[in-house]
Amino acid sequence: MGLHDWSLIIFTILGQMSVGVFLILGVIHTVAIRRHAVEEVERLTDRALLAIGPVLVLGFIASLGHLGSPVNAYLSILNVADSWLSREILFGALFAVSGAVFALMQWRKVGPFALRRVVALVAAALGIAFIVSMALVYMLPLQPSWNLWATPVTFLVTSLLTGTLAIGVAFVASYAYERKRDGEDSAALAALLYDSLRGLVIAAVVLVGAQLVTIPLQVAILSGGETAAAVDSAARLTSDYGIMFALRLALAFIGAAIFGLFVYRSTLGQASQRVVGGLVGGAFGLVLVGEVLGRYLFYAANVPIGV
Amino acid sequence: MTEQQMAFYVDLAACSGCKACQIACKDKNDLDVGIMWRRVVEYVGGDWTRSGDAWVSTVYAYSVTVSCLHCEDAPCATACPSSALVKRDDGVVLIDESRCIGCRYCEWSCPYGALQFDGDTGKMTKCDFCADYLDEGKDPACVASCPMRAMDYGPLDELRERYGDLAEVAPLPDPSISRPAVVFGPHPDSRAGASTSGRIGNLEEV
Repeated sequence: MGLHDWSLIIFTILGQMSVGVFLILGVIHTVAIRRHAVEEVERLTDRALLAIGPVLVLGFIASLGHLGSPVNAYLSILNVADSWLSREILFGALFAVSGAVFALMQWRKVGPFALRRVVALVAAALGIAFIVSMALVYMLPLQPSWNLWATPVTFLVTSLLTGTLAIGVAFVASYAYERKRDGEDSAALAALLYDSLRGLVIAAVVLVGAQLVTIPLQVAILSGGETAAAVDSAARLTSDYGIMFALRLALAFIGAAIFGLFVYRSTLGQASQRVVGGLVGGAFGLVLVGEVLGRYLFYAANVPIGV
Repeated sequence: MTEQQMAFYVDLAACSGCKACQIACKDKNDLDVGIMWRRVVEYVGGDWTRSGDAWVSTVYAYSVTVSCLHCEDAPCATACPSSALVKRDDGVVLIDESRCIGCRYCEWSCPYGALQFDGDTGKMTKCDFCADYLDEGKDPACVASCPMRAMDYGPLDELRERYGDLAEVAPLPDPSISRPAVVFGPHPDSRAGASTSGRIGNLEEV
């Protein structure tokens, strides 16, 4: 496990988280403006939207670490006709550009609302194409533990799960900033924050549930695989890396479900923002560490077919 | 006009596993430690089983020399994001190092471990079928070096006419994945590709 693999772990997780944040922000915005004033909603969502850019750029910079000749990186989109790796980079770049255009329009309120909606939908579609092509990069006939439907499913779950909780953290931070600037609590904004956090942790619980179903199924499919490499991959996951594997599942569950429950209850009980913020941050931290371990295992436990 | 696909032939029954081909390849291409465009894989298996008062041996071993097999459906060329891997008119898969970004994606796609990373240059390297020798009308270094005369090369169709069409030999993966340009002459003990009866006996060497 060298720099090579760590750069891919960072790139895939940050890339997926960026898309997840973008998609879920869109959902929150759409739902929230039905019950709250648009201006209030955007006091929370706009800064979260802007935070996506640096995260995605950081991911792309990390991806250069797995190239032997990073100066040639620009050549990586030459084989769009055949290579999923080229398509991954192309869709990633298009998502970055369209997302940046939308974020700029949204931040400066350029153009009518409907136009911004269209740009956001285009960026969201490109983001989904980025995640799908990222999964197809790994679905190679010689890599048994990657060549499963579980790869696109787990990539999407990682995207939405880390995205959900990252938004929770961004909202808490945005709220704290707004309150400091106004010099007082805004009841409307606080209600919006707590409403959103409850929705977010419910989503996180559903997502971690999906993950806790997918991962054991993936191991079961591998253990019953036809090739020795598939069986070895499953064995590495459950024995060689057994402790890390268990820890990865536990962290996702504790972060999303248990911390999520506390977040839910504390927002109902009108706990202080400091407590709520700490719980949301804890949930995000635990889930993120769990996802990093999971992605580490994705690379480390795979046994290729071939000589 | 497209020329015929070039291919290797290996007579597994004649191969003694001496690895002269591996060394000839390293010498001709001046390959650094850790890079082996041709490797000789030893497949071993079997056991001693009791039959009445006697112990009967089912132990077997044979060697498979493997390099880039210049596949007809080269998965490395499909995978390569910068189109650095291309098939020549004669089917030989060549790497254009000036276009290689060193992402190692071809390595994940190759069934034969043919794509190998050079840490000094940051590029992938691979067997080029001694393309310079072929153009001069000379034999590839591996073929020429074999003391058992177990190797041959030529257009795939001609090799198949002469030697048959066996391409599925353990421990090599299913040839339908990439349609490798290779013909094997069977060893009395050679197993089909999916065999799990044996294992690679010299993992530390290959």
